[in-house]
Amino acid sequence: MNIIEQQLWDYIDGNLNETQRKNIEEKIETDVSVKLQYEELLSLNIAFSEMELDEPSMSFTRNVMENVALQPAPVSLKTKVDSRIIFSISAFFVLSILAILGYILYNTTFSMPDFSKYFAININVDKILTPTSIYIFFGIDLVLGLIFMDYIFRKRLVNKA
Amino acid sequence: MKQELTDLELIQNVLTGETGQYALLVKRHQRFVFTLALRFAKNREDAEEIAQDCFIKAYKALGTFKHTAKFSTWLYTITYTTAMTFLRKKRLDTSSISDEATFLQLENHTSAFNANVYERQNSHAFLHEAITQLTPDDAAIITMFYKAEQSLEEIGTALNMEPNTIKVKLHRARQRLKEKLQYLLKDEVKELL
Repeated sequence: MNIIEQQLWDYIDGNLNETQRKNIEEKIETDVSVKLQYEELLSLNIAFSEMELDEPSMSFTRNVMENVALQPAPVSLKTKVDSRIIFSISAFFVLSILAILGYILYNTTFSMPDFSKYFAININVDKILTPTSIYIFFGIDLVLGLIFMDYIFRKRLVNKA
Repeated sequence: MKQELTDLELIQNVLTGETGQYALLVKRHQRFVFTLALRFAKNREDAEEIAQDCFIKAYKALGTFKHTAKFSTWLYTITYTTAMTFLRKKRLDTSSISDEATFLQLENHTSAFNANVYERQNSHAFLHEAITQLTPDDAAIITMFYKAEQSLEEIGTALNMEPNTIKVKLHRARQRLKEKLQYLLKDEVKELL
């Protein structure tokens, strides 16, 4: 298919932007061969949209409904999973965890341990916090931020579509 | 006058137990689903089997239908996959649009009815004849675009293709249909259209 024919189909389908539309309209007005081609495609377009659909047999709907009657009635997925069941299960687990925690806390005697025995670490912060490490830290943060923003924008585009 | 229920209202009614209302959905879409099936199966018996199977599958899966797309688009997706499964089972040649060999093979098919084609006066018959000679993909895209009021995006969803691919395929399908019509009608194409 040549380019002008493709443009003409796009024009007929309404898929061109304002500039492209004006360009093709100008071509149709000035070029006789383009005008003839446009008229031919327009006629074809009308013929295509007037094509007739085929009719199935008279008993089609009846046959479908007879088969459908043998199937279990469809139920919306929302009603299939009753939300009360989900809430009951989650409530059971939350209460169980709280009960166990309560029991443990009730049976525990608190005393503060001597941390100095275990943590005798001598950290030189100046060695770790060099300008390079700070740049690396911010660089990673920036990349993660960009990935997150890309994810948000993609999600918005999908939702709009 | 009682207002006709929309597809979504009918689906809602079926899902709440009024299963008889599914017949209204079938009646509303059966012609198009059958025509689409016929584009793949090429004979009425097989097309009717595909179309029936499609409506039964749609009924069974009605609970999973998300209202993000049109019911018709969802139904045509089922029709397409059902037709493909059916054809695979029957081991019929369902070469894609890019398969030129199929295109040429179909071209030869025209000579079989060329002798009596001129006796037909109805332009719809010529168009129908030309469509039957297209590849299943071509015929389905043309039918969905012109008769099902489906956008390129919706056709893409139904046929599991990108909208841009559908656009290119649609252009090529129209070109081929034009050639077929010109071949069938020789110089009469303009007068007929």
